[in-house]
Amino acid sequence: MALLATSTIAFKTINTQIRSRSFLPAQRHLPLSSSPPSSSFFRTVSVKAMELEQKNPMVIDENGVLKKGIAEFYDESSAIWEDIWGDHMHHGFYPPDSTVSLSDHRAAQIRMIEQALRFASIPLAGDERKWPKKIVDVGCGIGGSSRYLSEKFGATAIGITLSPVQAQRANALAAAQDLANKVSFQVADALDQPFPDGQFDLVWSMESGEHMPDKAKFVSELARVAAPGATIIIVTWCHRDLGPDEESLKPWEEKHLKKICDAFYLPAWCSTADYVRLLESLSLQDIKSEDWSPYVAPFWPAVIRSALSWKGLTSLLRSGLKTIKGALAMPLMIEGFKKDLIKFAIITCRKPE
Amino acid sequence: MRLLTHNMLSSNIKGVEKGFPLRIEAEKVVEKPVEMNADFLRKMFEKVEWKAFLEASRSMGYAQLPEEVDSGMLESDEFLSRFHHALLELHLEEGALVCPETGRRFPVNKGIPNMLLHEDEV
Repeated sequence: MALLATSTIAFKTINTQIRSRSFLPAQRHLPLSSSPPSSSFFRTVSVKAMELEQKNPMVIDENGVLKKGIAEFYDESSAIWEDIWGDHMHHGFYPPDSTVSLSDHRAAQIRMIEQALRFASIPLAGDERKWPKKIVDVGCGIGGSSRYLSEKFGATAIGITLSPVQAQRANALAAAQDLANKVSFQVADALDQPFPDGQFDLVWSMESGEHMPDKAKFVSELARVAAPGATIIIVTWCHRDLGPDEESLKPWEEKHLKKICDAFYLPAWCSTADYVRLLESLSLQDIKSEDWSPYVAPFWPAVIRSALSWKGLTSLLRSGLKTIKGALAMPLMIEGFKKDLIKFAIITCRKPE
Repeated sequence: MRLLTHNMLSSNIKGVEKGFPLRIEAEKVVEKPVEMNADFLRKMFEKVEWKAFLEASRSMGYAQLPEEVDSGMLESDEFLSRFHHALLELHLEEGALVCPETGRRFPVNKGIPNMLLHEDEV
């Protein structure tokens, strides 16, 4: 208990020191259909961009800064995640109001994959002719989903990530699990997928959508690489749907999300309804969406507990500033869920034949 | 990077009409034997774009694949083992994948292609 108390105090102290440093240009969380950002927004962005350019002579380019941040964040933190949590870098799916121990979490992460497949009406055992044969894993992490899905369906899976460290690790794990002939990973951008049109019969995006700065482009790429009749599955973090009279989130909600964005290298959030609208605009069929926030409730408390364990703390201290900053933002996720601001959403659809 | 993967990749640079197949510049090719699975090979045969695969395997230094193929050849052990070798046992460790239209090189390091586009290519 004493260790936990001291750790929590240390947590809060480092928290206030580090959180004041912002790694990303200022952002507002705009609904996709809103009017252009105000001039003060642009001023803040350009000041930040100039500071960054002075440190790093790249072309001033927000999305480039974001992508670099994402790659570096995962380059730095993937190993520590894997060490404690294993090779699935996504939420577990838990029966509501359950109490779970750390050993249940891997099973819960597998359950999340299975529940997503079921929600998308992918046939289960027995109807193998309808199983996907070519899968793309968009934002693949260290390849947990790709390897699992490939093994399950006997399909090939190709994963893309911005992080070279993740791609390396993902390929190594595939080789170790004798899956290297079916599963491969490369460094690529989900907004410009390096594949010809219509390649894949399952297009899988498990908790990567929140990193995409251009949701419309992200979704249109998912649709482009999907073969006729293919299933698209998106599991992602959204903010609550806006009410009919609302133009945007409330100021406190914007501020709250911005803190999380800074720590996790996220661009502006959108709502589940925004995703549905995008899919509709691309004439995709059988569009379904659901709020799975109640089923992921135990996850962030569990991640925090693991971070505060002896192994967690020592690993964090050895990792780097980006990982630490990410870890410190975790209570913000819990608060966001509790206040009904953050939603864990699944959205699925089918490409017309 | 195996040739099975190469057969799925294309250049998505803005304005490029035909970004497939990517040309291979092989600097370091490694052979890693792996157990053959005839069923898997037969499934993959349906999906592989043969001309691109043939050309790619030549770039990797393997010239033992036939120009023309038909599914009847899947009965031949000789063919299967050559197909298996080129598809799964040749690895491009260092080199580049080159856009057929623009000549832009996508580097391959430690076996992993980096397909990220620059800002002006999007």
